[in-house]
Amino acid sequence: MTSVAPARRRFYFSQRAVHLLFLVLPVLLFVTFFIYPIISTFYLSLQDWDGISKSMKFIGMANYVELLHEPRFFHAVLNNVTWLIFLLLGPTGLGLLLAAILDRGLRGERVFRIVYFLPFTIPAVAVAAIWRWVYEPTSGLLTTVLNVVGLGSLAQNWLGDPHVVNFALMGAVMWWMTGFSFLVFFAGLRNIPVECIEAARIEGATPWQIFWKVSFPLLWPSTIVVLGISAVDAMRLFDVVWATTNGGPAYASEVLATQMYDVAFGRFDMGRASAISVYLLILAGAVIMPYLYYMSLRVQASEAE
Amino acid sequence: MATRVSAGRVSAYFIAIVVAVIFLAPLVVATLTAFKSPREITQVLSFPTQLYLDNFVVAANQMGRSFLNSLAITIPAVIFSVVLGAIGGYPLAYMRGGSSRWIYFFLLTGMLVPFQIVQIPLFIFIRTIGLYDTIPGMWLTHTAYSVPFCTFFMRNFFASVPRSMYEAALIEGCGPFGYFWRLLLPASTSGLSALAIIQSRYIWNDLLFGITLTNGDEAQPATVAIAGFVSGVQVQYGPLMAATLVSVVPVMAAYLIFQKSFVRGLLGGAGK
Amino acid sequence: MWKVGSIALGVAMLAGVGGAYAQSTTAEVWNYYAAGSELAGMTALIDQANAANPDTKFVSKVIPGNVVEMRRQLQTAFIGNKPPAAYQTSMASELKTFVDGGRLHPLTDVWAKIDGDKIFPEGIQRVAKINGVPYGLPFDLAEINNIFYNKAIFAKLGLTPPTDWDGFVKTCDALRTAGIEPLGDAGGPFWSLYNFYAPLISTVGTDGYYKIARGELAFDSPEFRKALELYRDTEVKCYAKNWSGKSWTQTADDLINGKVGMYGMGVWVAGYMKQAGFKPDTGYDTFPAPGTGDKAIFQMDLFAVPEGTPEMIKAGEEFVTTVASAKAQEAFATNKGSISPSTEVDPSVYDVDFAKFATQLATASKANAVLPNLFFLLPTDVGTELGNQIEKFAIDPSDATEHDVISTLEAARQKAMADNAYTSW
Repeated sequence: MTSVAPARRRFYFSQRAVHLLFLVLPVLLFVTFFIYPIISTFYLSLQDWDGISKSMKFIGMANYVELLHEPRFFHAVLNNVTWLIFLLLGPTGLGLLLAAILDRGLRGERVFRIVYFLPFTIPAVAVAAIWRWVYEPTSGLLTTVLNVVGLGSLAQNWLGDPHVVNFALMGAVMWWMTGFSFLVFFAGLRNIPVECIEAARIEGATPWQIFWKVSFPLLWPSTIVVLGISAVDAMRLFDVVWATTNGGPAYASEVLATQMYDVAFGRFDMGRASAISVYLLILAGAVIMPYLYYMSLRVQASEAE
Repeated sequence: MATRVSAGRVSAYFIAIVVAVIFLAPLVVATLTAFKSPREITQVLSFPTQLYLDNFVVAANQMGRSFLNSLAITIPAVIFSVVLGAIGGYPLAYMRGGSSRWIYFFLLTGMLVPFQIVQIPLFIFIRTIGLYDTIPGMWLTHTAYSVPFCTFFMRNFFASVPRSMYEAALIEGCGPFGYFWRLLLPASTSGLSALAIIQSRYIWNDLLFGITLTNGDEAQPATVAIAGFVSGVQVQYGPLMAATLVSVVPVMAAYLIFQKSFVRGLLGGAGK
Repeated sequence: MWKVGSIALGVAMLAGVGGAYAQSTTAEVWNYYAAGSELAGMTALIDQANAANPDTKFVSKVIPGNVVEMRRQLQTAFIGNKPPAAYQTSMASELKTFVDGGRLHPLTDVWAKIDGDKIFPEGIQRVAKINGVPYGLPFDLAEINNIFYNKAIFAKLGLTPPTDWDGFVKTCDALRTAGIEPLGDAGGPFWSLYNFYAPLISTVGTDGYYKIARGELAFDSPEFRKALELYRDTEVKCYAKNWSGKSWTQTADDLINGKVGMYGMGVWVAGYMKQAGFKPDTGYDTFPAPGTGDKAIFQMDLFAVPEGTPEMIKAGEEFVTTVASAKAQEAFATNKGSISPSTEVDPSVYDVDFAKFATQLATASKANAVLPNLFFLLPTDVGTELGNQIEKFAIDPSDATEHDVISTLEAARQKAMADNAYTSW
């Protein structure tokens, strides 16, 4: 015993050293490419600067204070929160449903797999153009289909009505992003050992029970990834909104990232735009960090079993 | 019991097909548009009267070398970022104690940074090290900005690999490095593949870094050319959709190649 | 194996890229004309500049998007000290921001050489110069105060182009009675604003237009309110159902397909319609929006030369000198489908409707009634806010919205006044 212990300790020491060695490169890249830009953004947020001049003026927290008096800013915050709720539930739920259905081994599974993933591969500018046709309010795809099936009265001015535009954009994003959660869940399901499912089936569990009692708990790591990324996407949401509506009509579909972009380059106010990104970072941190922390505890707990 | 199962299967087929139709409908419109002449494009839902291939010619001329640049950027950048994600995710999944969690959160904050705000420091940095307008510059950038996501993804994937495998390996005299290389990576192909697919899509479709860090034929990715179809005041819908159809192909190829490794029971015997 | 392969691939690519990355004396010309006829126009300019200046190799770098994307790229380039030799920009305030920032090279020498004061009309010079110094070289002009109409529909209903607002509203009523949406418009901060200029000028006149541009006429003044209400009672009333959910090309499709009778849009829409086979002589015609009959309100693109290394400035000056030539101006206008701001371009080069637009510009120019787009005369954030607020008002022209719109705009004006952001154009 006594001779084993130091060897063991040395062994664990080297194990830790190897682990830390593995982290050197990622952490180095992270510090170079993330920390410095964040610090410089914070610095800019304290300035009055149009982004073009060679000089800037230090104005302290004025940008932060003024934003708190702008209805436009809070409208964008509210939109981000709405997107957060939507992205956590919508594409995630549909992706899980589709993955669960396909995992049962349907005929034509390959084709379904391709179809569900296809939209996810399309660049944002093209997504915007395609959905501009779908949402054309009088002769677009959606309005036409509704008319054909006799639901014409449900047709809306999809992208032109300030009260509808956010939901319309969510529809487009659902189409675009579900492929991601589908993929992760499907990979996760396929990674669940056959024995677990077989054992449950032999015990007479229905597919429904097998899914919720056996598969779903084993999908936790996948779920964490999907929910975490959905939350991040909701905060960083930019390209599809910008390409489809530019945040319009009249700011109705604006989110913080598009507002930041508009303030920075549409209005020449880099200082204010930087303050928006710092707020965005804080908001994202407040929303996402507790979740990630909680989830990582859960994973460790389930490992320890 | 039997009827319930078949009822379940029927509804499964029903949902699968309905969703598939909804997913395909906008793509049908896009595909039809790619084959329409400008004259026909004014009628969005009509069928093209003949196969008008000029849009593809225009798209090909416009994209030119940028399509190859995109391949040259994407393939290595995907490999680097996935490998780096595995390298970072491994210790974070296996290390015990507070320090690993702190590093983990430290890295995760990166996911919250909107990329629009990094571009000026990034541009200056990449120019300083002489990689502006080069393909390796794009590898470095994409790899670096993928660190938080890839680490997060792989850490969570590794966490689903039973820890008993790790302990057993260590007892059998396999070091932590050997375990990573010989056991963990081969056992994680489905996670690595899923990540490779996601990264292919993300890097292939990147526009922001492409515009900021390249300026010409040498390194400019295809997305810049595609975005050009909605430039200025005019929008070239036909060529835009043709270019989109072409540009989707590589990501779909990556998807089809990598998804082969989503094989059930890869971890079979080692189940919990 | 995988790893070895990837490293080999990487090394091979490094080698290939390294070889291609040899420094060359090229001069970049940044622009956002990336496709279609816009690209054809830009290519013609670049080709002529290369032919005229054998020592410099001009290359076009496309910044996909518009002036906003261009600003973003320029900002990065300025801070990184690597600006292009020349770039496509807009007039007035857009130039002023960059001049105030010390980023633009004055084109005084070029201007003297090309005799800019002679070849460009006064109204155009005014927005190419900042404090009397030329900073932009105009090359691409489009009027935005014309209303396009579907000739077949007008013929069928026996309608003639209206000349005043009463006639305009009557035309709308006749179209609506016949089951045709009278007037097209599209979502976004520009199109409703451009339509609004006609009722605005009808109310406040050319002087009032410039007063707004200088910040002298308040947005909560009775005149501005009256202009909003005239807009509400005329064009807004006539707008097609769901107009705000359409892009400008979708509304152009509606005009082509006879779903709307009229469409107030910049003359670039003519290029789109011609490409779609809808011809000026048979398909559509134009009339000036009521109240702007003798005027030309225009939108214009210019090239600016940033401060930089002497070689780059020299290249930029060479480039804009070429662009100023009648040959280059003509090549761009005919390839792209726009009007040359230069009076040296022979009107006979244009096709039937651009000849008409060129005449409109020339006539207005003689009457000193060439008005630059107000959007770019105003300080940038006031102009952008005006575009957004007018769109908001056009979507919901209620009294409550009117109140909101006026107070938001007036607040923006006050702030810009306090910041000394207005200019006397």
